[in-house]
Amino acid sequence: MIYVIDHKDSFTHNVVHQLSLFDRVECANFDEINYSKLKKASTIVLSPGPGAPKDYPKTNKIYKEFKGKKKIIGICLGFQQILYAEGAKIIRQKKIYHGFQSQIQVISRNSIFKNNLKFKVGRYHSLKLKEPFYAENFDITMRCVISGSAMSFENKIDKIYGFQFHPESFLTINGNLLIKKIISA
Amino acid sequence: MKTNNILKEINTSGKPYVIYKTPKGFDLFTNFSKKIILSRNNIVNFLKKNNSNKKKLKKTDLHIGFFGYELLNNLININLPKQKSNNFPKGIFYKPETLISLNKNLLYQPQITERKISKFKININKKIYTRIFDKFKEKIKEGETYQIKICTKYKNQSKIDPLDFFCRLTKSNLAPEAFLIKDKDYSIISCSPETLILKKGRSISTKPIAGTLKKNKLLNKKKALEYFKKNIKETKEHNMIVDMERNDLSRICVPGSVKIEKEKKVEEYKDLFHYVSLIKGKLKNNIKTIDIMKSMMPGGSVIGCPKISTLDLLNNQEKENRNIYTGSFGYIKFNGDMRFNIIIRSILNYKDISEISVASGVVIDSNSNHEFNENFIKAKALIDLYK
Repeated sequence: MIYVIDHKDSFTHNVVHQLSLFDRVECANFDEINYSKLKKASTIVLSPGPGAPKDYPKTNKIYKEFKGKKKIIGICLGFQQILYAEGAKIIRQKKIYHGFQSQIQVISRNSIFKNNLKFKVGRYHSLKLKEPFYAENFDITMRCVISGSAMSFENKIDKIYGFQFHPESFLTINGNLLIKKIISA
Repeated sequence: MKTNNILKEINTSGKPYVIYKTPKGFDLFTNFSKKIILSRNNIVNFLKKNNSNKKKLKKTDLHIGFFGYELLNNLININLPKQKSNNFPKGIFYKPETLISLNKNLLYQPQITERKISKFKININKKIYTRIFDKFKEKIKEGETYQIKICTKYKNQSKIDPLDFFCRLTKSNLAPEAFLIKDKDYSIISCSPETLILKKGRSISTKPIAGTLKKNKLLNKKKALEYFKKNIKETKEHNMIVDMERNDLSRICVPGSVKIEKEKKVEEYKDLFHYVSLIKGKLKNNIKTIDIMKSMMPGGSVIGCPKISTLDLLNNQEKENRNIYTGSFGYIKFNGDMRFNIIIRSILNYKDISEISVASGVVIDSNSNHEFNENFIKAKALIDLYK
């Protein structure tokens, strides 16, 4: 079962629907988590949402508790929350992308996706990862073709994955395939 | 009976009535056997009532009316701070006993009465508007909202003949969700273009509009589409709404059933081109009327995105109750089928005071001057009726 932690976003249920293609999904607001269900989940997904990682100490705590014990996937805010918990700084972007379709590229040989592969994806983010960033076992695996901003990371050892873009958006081409690969990784 | 005779008769009878646009013409609902004034205490019960699985349905087996903006917030557990209010009801529904279909050409000779109309006043001047605009833009940079609509309200003192206003409005702008409510102490005159919910059986759809272009001699449908496609700001705003409406439908629909039926198409109306999408889904088995309302209302395209954090930002900013504006008007049939719009481009006349609210969107690349003027243009189409 996949447990989606919703940060009261207006895209979370698109994520839920997409994940439902692959497994049973439970979803609850970050401040109404059912711990016994959460403990039974094989995968935890941190949803997109408004604001910054520092606004959600509860999610931060859950991440730290289950890191290494369950597969964890972060999308948009969720992506930033994981990196923030790993010591990263999340900062404002000069150019802001909301409802924007852009091209990204796989830039790592270690990725579960083929190196140099390009995707068209939907983006909804005001903030981004401050680089350089380093945390043990974390690889930045995709970047925006134009700005070079980090668009995904993978931690194969602890099975932690994150997308800065929205694989569930209608703006993302082949989003289902992206999610499928992460779910079965 | 001819449409103009029916209109004359109903208006002189003094009975409350509702007129609602249909694809072919208009439906007139009257002879109300019940009038339900909604509050946060009785709304849940009211929505439960409309859930019976009655097999044989008469045309009048429905409740028709509106939910105000505040009530729709309450329904999703959002409380509004204390605001200036004229105590207009938060929602009203009627049970009609008579339904008459009218053709699309509404003719009506207004009764000659003394017109008492004062000048419209706006509740937020340009300076205050710009301040709110800059504050919201900062919130966008912080990621708290991605798109937010600032509402301005125009008010005047006026005794009006609502049917005359409505008939004239249908001549200048025959909107697909137009409606009129005329009751003893209030009336609502609307040329709403936007369908929020169309539900039949387990099939449900929503048709958000994001992007409007005024017609001129040089523009045709093809050129309007080119304009929208080239305009990155309009495209991004529209994309956001499409993903948000997919999300709202996904809450209540079978996984995999939510589909974009029409993606970013131009629809042509008498004076305008609209940039619209149509999103459909199949409802899950256990979904009740109240689940649909909570998921879809208030309609996202007129609020902004993400819905909850954006509503909080708006509500803390606005000093005056929105009343009907960005609420929903429509009907629920006794078998659970329904049609609801989003109440925009509307006049509320209550106790001889008319109010017209309008809003336009702030996204990262919008300009406060342009949006302030956009608000005025939207209001002007209705204000001109008072001339």
